[in-house]
Amino acid sequence: MGKLSALAFEGMTTVTLSEHVEEIEKLFREHNRALIAFLQCRLNSHSDAQEVAQDAYLRMLTLDNREDVESLRSYLFRIAGNLAIDRLRKRKVRGDFVAGQSQDEPMAEESPVHHAIAVEQVAGLRKALSELPPKTSQAFVLHVIEGRDFGSVAQTMNLSERMVRYHVTNALAHCRAMVDEQEMP
Amino acid sequence: MAKSKQDPILHAAADWWVRLRAPDAEGETIEQWLAWTGEDRRHLEAFERVNQLASQLGSLDSVTRQGLIKAFGRTVAPQRRWMPLAAAASFVAVVLGGAYITWISLNRVNIEVYNSAVAQNRDFTLPDGTQVALGAASTMTTHFSRGQRQIDLTSGEAFFTVVHDNSRPFVVGAGDISVRDIGTAFDVRRTGDRVTIAVTQGRVQVSNISQKPGASQGGTLEVTAGQLVSYDPNTSAMSMGSMTAEQATGWQDHRLEFVDEPLSVVIANLNRYSRQPVQIADTDLDTLTYTGLIRTDAIDSWLDALPKLYPLRVDTHGNQVILSDEHPAAHR
Repeated sequence: MGKLSALAFEGMTTVTLSEHVEEIEKLFREHNRALIAFLQCRLNSHSDAQEVAQDAYLRMLTLDNREDVESLRSYLFRIAGNLAIDRLRKRKVRGDFVAGQSQDEPMAEESPVHHAIAVEQVAGLRKALSELPPKTSQAFVLHVIEGRDFGSVAQTMNLSERMVRYHVTNALAHCRAMVDEQEMP
Repeated sequence: MAKSKQDPILHAAADWWVRLRAPDAEGETIEQWLAWTGEDRRHLEAFERVNQLASQLGSLDSVTRQGLIKAFGRTVAPQRRWMPLAAAASFVAVVLGGAYITWISLNRVNIEVYNSAVAQNRDFTLPDGTQVALGAASTMTTHFSRGQRQIDLTSGEAFFTVVHDNSRPFVVGAGDISVRDIGTAFDVRRTGDRVTIAVTQGRVQVSNISQKPGASQGGTLEVTAGQLVSYDPNTSAMSMGSMTAEQATGWQDHRLEFVDEPLSVVIANLNRYSRQPVQIADTDLDTLTYTGLIRTDAIDSWLDALPKLYPLRVDTHGNQVILSDEHPAAHR
């Protein structure tokens, strides 16, 4: 928590400081894990989630209208959600630029070590996907692996977005269970 | 599939992941999700595991990524032909007398070879529940993938009672001919490249998929119960006739039925049931056609009666039966 307090000093008056920092620290203790999970869901990257979370706490600490905020937790998640949208937007601009240079390369967003997936896991994933109805695995691959949003997948597959979400949900649960099974023989 | 259904927490986690993913997920959704994570510590753990998998898959190396997109991300073609798949899958099948099954799992296409010995019909149930009665001395290969069930009838005869599945077409290839199930039971007989299809229930689509120059292209016939289609490889023509279910499936009960078939075709099919191979010595006999029934448990008496029906002679040489012109001197 030392880091948060240090950040706080940069933008706050000493009068409200200790009380407000305590509030934010409490928020961090109780909800940081959920916040990171929420952001990772949005950004599909653990390291990006951590960066954006850090940014969100900073904004919470430098909040100048504390009295207008009813629930700090809700506010934290709203700020974080908006920051995630910004980041996705920036990433898209960068992604389009990268795509213009090379069609096949995915964005070099992640360190390969952090997210490396074992060869056996890929084989297990293929098996898991082949067990699913074709539309279920297709929706999943287009959204999670190719990185297209629900609307674009729905258009390609000529389905409603709701159906696409339904397929992605089923595939996610199935693939997670299957990959787990492999990790714990 | 079973396991993910058994784990409601994991399924709920995946559901939340999808709901939170939408950038327009409102504060209320997030509050509900936070409440859910607060209910049980396993909830957030399951959610994190879903996150972890999704993050891994979102940042695959380009080769793996493209491979998966190619394999699963493309729309399943509604009517893919069986030929390319069959050609793509190289396999070695060890085939002996009786029925032998070779199971080879090639990534996504499961290939099985079924065959039967002379004078021996076999019954199979395919993995999708489809019932197959395989005639004697017949070979077929099944190529089953997620989106397609393809059968290659290499030789002989088979009767299919298909478990229909709109998302997984059932297609039987026999040489130039492709038969596509539309909820049905049907018989396919292949004699060399000559193919007859008899439908006993429902409908099938019969297509000529040959790429031969000069062949009439793109012909597709819809054939319904009680109808019979014969494909002649020499003319690439398909002709329609009628045949009852009893006639079409008679071979399963020792009865071979033929409607206006060349004698050579009749003999070739008879040989699938005959312990003694029958040969046609004179090519003019090929022009004779036969309509009628042959009992496979009484082939000898049929052969004995043959000279009464046709101007030909039946001789036995060792283990072989030879059919030849009645008057060799008058030949030509």
